[in-house]
Amino acid sequence: MIRRRFPWLSYLVVVTGAVLTVVPFLDMVMTSFKGAGEAGTLPYHFLPKAFDLSNYRAAIDQLDLPVLFRNSVVATAVITGSVLFTSSLAGYALAKLRFPGRNLIFRLVLSTMMFPPFLFFIPHFLILVHWPLAGGNDLFGRGGAGLTVSIAALAMPFLVNGFGIFLMRQFMVSIPDEVLEAARIDGAGEFAVWWRIVVPQTRPVLLTLGLLTFVQAWNEYIWALLISTANPDVMTLPVGIQFLQDYVDPTRTMPIVMAGLVLSILPVLILFLLLQKYYIRGVMLSGLK
Amino acid sequence: MVNALTPTTTERAAPSTRSSSPAVDGRARSRRRQAVVAYLFLAPTLLFFAVFLILPLGFALLLSMSRWAGFDLGGIQPVGTDNFAGLFADGSTFLAPILTNTLLFALGTVVLALAGSVVVATCIDNLRFQGLWRTLYFLPIVTTVVAVGNVWKYMYEPGGLVNGVLNALGLGSMAFLQDPDTALPSVVVVQAWASVGSAVLILTAGLKSIPESYYEAAALDGAGPLTVFWKITLPLLRPSLLLVCITQFISGLQSFALITVMTKGGPGDATNVAALEMYRQAFSYGRWGPASAAAFVLFVVVLVVTLAQLWIFRRKEEDA
Repeated sequence: MIRRRFPWLSYLVVVTGAVLTVVPFLDMVMTSFKGAGEAGTLPYHFLPKAFDLSNYRAAIDQLDLPVLFRNSVVATAVITGSVLFTSSLAGYALAKLRFPGRNLIFRLVLSTMMFPPFLFFIPHFLILVHWPLAGGNDLFGRGGAGLTVSIAALAMPFLVNGFGIFLMRQFMVSIPDEVLEAARIDGAGEFAVWWRIVVPQTRPVLLTLGLLTFVQAWNEYIWALLISTANPDVMTLPVGIQFLQDYVDPTRTMPIVMAGLVLSILPVLILFLLLQKYYIRGVMLSGLK
Repeated sequence: MVNALTPTTTERAAPSTRSSSPAVDGRARSRRRQAVVAYLFLAPTLLFFAVFLILPLGFALLLSMSRWAGFDLGGIQPVGTDNFAGLFADGSTFLAPILTNTLLFALGTVVLALAGSVVVATCIDNLRFQGLWRTLYFLPIVTTVVAVGNVWKYMYEPGGLVNGVLNALGLGSMAFLQDPDTALPSVVVVQAWASVGSAVLILTAGLKSIPESYYEAAALDGAGPLTVFWKITLPLLRPSLLLVCITQFISGLQSFALITVMTKGGPGDATNVAALEMYRQAFSYGRWGPASAAAFVLFVVVLVVTLAQLWIFRRKEEDA
């Protein structure tokens, strides 16, 4: 019980740290209510003079927020759906089916996790530029802008995730073979076995992987920035808000930028607060972020 | 395989006249069918890895040894290792300040985040409502880098929160992000602030695995809280500390989104890091060759750290 001898000191440290963590978020919210000439001027005031919602209206209008929101939702949904589907199917094959080349493919999946994402920005972009028969390209990928101008480009490099396959496989290994065998005896094909037995049994892991992928995809910035430069119509929320911050007078727009940020953070924040048990387990499992 | 031994599977397989044993034939058939199904299930994954992993790696390697501007694939000229030599030539900014900045950024982040998270995790372990605290510390991790970067950038400004606090304490304002001397430390603080949460998570799990009996024994021997921390908690926490250290270091080496948002590498090259330099060379100047070479140099650095991690942890397992 020696660990509990100095509770007041522990409280002091933890509360101070928590305040330091939360204050920037509060500053963001407070600034989002500040009027023109109130933000970024001396002396600094934490609280706004009035809680005015006009910045939120301005964010929705100036930022074209509904369009940004739609693009973010589409890209995030496609990525999350695809990662869950491919990870579960591939994980099942690697965990429960026997076939030549299984170890080799499993090793390939493991090795994909060794390659850092920055290595792929250039070749992925150039591959999409030269995608055959898309965006004005001929069969050999020449002549047009390829897939870089399509909204699909936002999602394409993230559709399959080596870590996701690894995670699903590790959990599926522990499903008893007898259960799968019983279903096969009842005449179920492998796809039915996967869909009716394996998927329901791995629902918590799917939720964890889905949350991790959702948050990552929703917050993705660098790749989305690249694709949005090629085609501004597919701008996502982070890119659009940063665009406003970069190219319009920063002192005047800062409260509007903050309002946009508050709105863009909300969906992830709500999801995280509701399902944090699953998310935190995911971070523990990946040990990465 | 279990399924091949079950009678029903054998019965379902069509009886073969040529085979001496229908059971063996059925087993082979079922195994073949399973292989077909497995490759069908793996097809999207394998296709993706072919187009978005193996092809890009080959392409990037080719580009790193070529001179190429624009988008015409026919214009790629092989130049051997010229691009790599150019990175390390006299007068190149790649080694210093860019690669040096990269290492300082990663190292500074690790030191700050580790120090903060060790203290916080040890203290959280003493408290009730641990879940609530963890949730609070976790907020930056689920937040987009655009939000984190802009909020801090704004807080660092003359009329922002940080200078507001300094002024309230009677100190002068600082030009955190505009002064070349303070720009890099200022972004390091933000990166560390954003990564404390996950470090706390890993360390709390590590603390939970230390048996309570060690602490009881220390209490019986009359050890003070600081002695307990140095002699029991820290040594037994070493695997978790190492994990935090290395994963944060690797992600520090390659992260540049925060810097892009906050300083764009400036002022001058004061906060320019290798991944950002790669990005700019490629997408601002279209110099695909030098950019790809820079990417591979950074990749080698990351790979060395990754392999060191694998080696250290494998040795740990053998020791255990």
